[in-house]
Amino acid sequence: MEISPTIFIVPTGIGCEVGGFAGDALPTAKLLASASGCLITHPNVMNGGNLSEKDERIFYVEGYSLDRFARGEIGLKSVKQNKIGIIFDSDIEHQLFLRHLQVADACVATLGINVASYIRTKKPLGIVLDYNSSNVSGGLIEHPDVLIEAGKGLIDNGATAIAVVANFPNDSDLKQTNNYREGKGVDPIAGVEAVISHLISKYLKVPCAHAPALNPIELNEKLDPRAASEEIGYTFLPSVLIGLSNAPNLVELNNANQMVSVHPDQLESIVVPDGALGGEAVLACVERGLNIICVKNQNILNVSNKLLNYPNFIKVNNYLEAAGTILSFKKGINLKSIRRPLNSIKNVGFDA
Amino acid sequence: MKLSELDFYMDWPVSIEVKNLRKYLISNLIKKGDLIRWSIIDIQNSNDFYGTKKLRIKAVFANL
Repeated sequence: MEISPTIFIVPTGIGCEVGGFAGDALPTAKLLASASGCLITHPNVMNGGNLSEKDERIFYVEGYSLDRFARGEIGLKSVKQNKIGIIFDSDIEHQLFLRHLQVADACVATLGINVASYIRTKKPLGIVLDYNSSNVSGGLIEHPDVLIEAGKGLIDNGATAIAVVANFPNDSDLKQTNNYREGKGVDPIAGVEAVISHLISKYLKVPCAHAPALNPIELNEKLDPRAASEEIGYTFLPSVLIGLSNAPNLVELNNANQMVSVHPDQLESIVVPDGALGGEAVLACVERGLNIICVKNQNILNVSNKLLNYPNFIKVNNYLEAAGTILSFKKGINLKSIRRPLNSIKNVGFDA
Repeated sequence: MKLSELDFYMDWPVSIEVKNLRKYLISNLIKKGDLIRWSIIDIQNSNDFYGTKKLRIKAVFANL
């Protein structure tokens, strides 16, 4: 089958108009997967609280591992089913913890997902939010060691993928949260979520994704549809479990005997919002001379190609155009042949 | 392990081509600790004679 393997990134916590909310880039991911036949994307794109979807053409890869794939360090191997282990922050209050366990049971009973085990951290992860130093969502956790230790415990018991549920403080900025819910701001917890899942990916090298544990907040009548999937239930866990259920194995490429489904050398393009070209995956693709398809998708950053001056850069107005561009790569059609005006070919001979 | 989040500026000398920018940044960033998460969040011309650009970096490090 003809494919044009493509990475699709919507960076976390920069307020993208498409994809900056709750799984609101998922339909776009499905479109790009249809065009490319093989799309590698990250949980932030696919996770819509209680809503998500599987697509055999979409490879669900956590951001840190996705960067490693873009750097050419790992390959991706399709799996039929992961054995998922869940890490619960010990700070989650009892009723909310039980809600999460029931959601995990529901995913086993109704979706046939293999959630094998869970573990509670020995002490709270200690979430520290930061949205003051810049407009970009940030923060960290105070006790990363307890996270890693819990993850090791799950892997020792046979888990092949890890979901993390961390407790987020109730005193987090309600105004900022409501701005986000009304489609006007940056997801205030996205930066910390990325740190948590990056830690698992970096130190334990297994598929991973994060769902926050948040107590219910007041109904917001001005809710933006893009944030609506996070209002459905008590937890955000189902989308994480759906994504991880067949997230690909991460294969170290120094292990020559392992077969992979997608090798980084097959990668042709990366699709990224305009202004958000400063991430490692994009720079790794620049390093490798791949196509950077840059989509107009309003966000708070301004790291554009104007100052990078990368030649293999294709700017498009929306994701429909991005899909067409990928399709033209897949079918070997020169993009210049589609666009107008069409210039004559150049003479580069000795007398030119 | 302790995590720290830094927001700082770095020069991008004109001698470093864009295709080598990632490696150049990484070679400098790893001096500060084990890299967990980073990205360039702003880029500006510094208007100096050499054409240096200023990069604003946001990064999370683990200091093992």
